Amino acid sequence: MSNEHYLIVSYFVFALVSLALGVAAYRVLRRPFAAIAEAVAGLRGVMLRRTLALSLALAAVLGFLSVSYVDCNRGYDQIVKDRSLMDEINRQQLQHAGNWIVFAVLAWGFMVVVLLAIWRRKKQQEGSGDQARSGGIH
Amino acid sequence: MSPHGIVVLASFVIAVLLLIVVDRLLRPGLRGLLEDVTALPPATEFYLRAFLLVIVLVVLAAVLGAQHADVKDGAHFMEYVWSVANGLQDVFQNLMIVLLVYAALITVLMASLRRKH
Repeated sequence: MSNEHYLIVSYFVFALVSLALGVAAYRVLRRPFAAIAEAVAGLRGVMLRRTLALSLALAAVLGFLSVSYVDCNRGYDQIVKDRSLMDEINRQQLQHAGNWIVFAVLAWGFMVVVLLAIWRRKKQQEGSGDQARSGGIH
Repeated sequence: MSPHGIVVLASFVIAVLLLIVVDRLLRPGLRGLLEDVTALPPATEFYLRAFLLVIVLVVLAAVLGAQHADVKDGAHFMEYVWSVANGLQDVFQNLMIVLLVYAALITVLMASLRRKH
């Protein structure tokens, strides 16, 4: 495989691998998050779940795109000659994709705190409503 | 295997061992704490999975992006050690930052849910 072919193939392969990392992260979190979203928002929890999926995929692609060949200030011919540079850039793209997914997961952790607080309040309101109703019967 | 390959492999093995140790040390306590605070089993599961995902990704990303000092053929043992140590610096640094952020997250979780008991 010539260096130019290697450059083209590796770029798109690593783009797909980065995206796959985001999708894998979503699949790890999907089931518990869906249960939380359903407990808090009922049927509208689907929207939250889709937002989680989208944000993790976007974070992965963003990480991949944040490392660019243009930034290394070399001409195309110089980039094609240097296969070690391509490997280095590919590694950095994966590294940044991983880091952005981590940021996104931590941000969602804070979001889930808010969702749980809403769920707790909802349960308390339901509990006090039941108490008021049973008090009215007596 | 090239000297650089040996260094990357050694860094990877140490990073995986570190992950296992961190997970084994923190997971049981974290599970108990989360079960106590959240009272919603999927929430406990979500935070435990998020914890594992975050530490795995941050450590692997650090191993991938680590700048290892150049090791030539026929290098001495300690040159390999220095190169591995150079790479592991990023692993430990990123892991520490993520653990601190996760601790802040759990603190916020406790502060917002505990007072409502």
